[in-house]
Amino acid sequence: MSRRTALIYGAGALRAGAQGDRLIWALHRAALRNGLVPIVSVGALADASRTEENHELLEELIRGCEVEILDRNGALQIGEVAKAAETADLVAVATALLADEHNGAVVSTRQNSLRAAAEALGHELVLYAI
Amino acid sequence: MVIKRSVSLTQAVADAVEVAAKEDGTSFSAWLSAAAERQLRIREGLSGVANYEDQEGPFSAEELAAGEALLGRLLSGVTGVASRVRRR
Repeated sequence: MSRRTALIYGAGALRAGAQGDRLIWALHRAALRNGLVPIVSVGALADASRTEENHELLEELIRGCEVEILDRNGALQIGEVAKAAETADLVAVATALLADEHNGAVVSTRQNSLRAAAEALGHELVLYAI
Repeated sequence: MVIKRSVSLTQAVADAVEVAAKEDGTSFSAWLSAAAERQLRIREGLSGVANYEDQEGPFSAEELAAGEALLGRLLSGVTGVASRVRRR
């Protein structure tokens, strides 16, 4: 067990926020009030945008998040980790990579691909599964 | 585009920023700019939370405590699953 210094939202957290999940919003408020800006990958945002109809709440949630832009090296790294983890779920891999890079705890749905990606990275996953 | 502004800092804050910028491998100006950007993002995010409460109803004391507790638990590094509290 090691302390985490960042909060990473996966697509599941964004979906829950878009659906008005009160615990996710209370967590979001707590993070911001404690000076912590949650981080999301562009892939997680794209995925939540694809599946959720309530873009209004999604956009309100994203106002308080840092959206990590993917560059060439980042894309290649996601591909390498996905290969090692034997998964095609690139959104989950991007989330695991953010958790590793930022020493972050993850809020998302419980996913085997997220765990596999964390294992491939040698990262001890701290996950709140919604 | 970058603009120059003259700002006043106490000696203690200026010294602390100097040290922090060096530790983070960045310049004094870039460190201050990043800190300001972060504060603006937090301010923006809390405005989003206020809009959520306008739409969905204000948080109860229990809900606020649950959010703080979950944050504390996540940052402590303990894994686990908590129950969902859906919209009222």
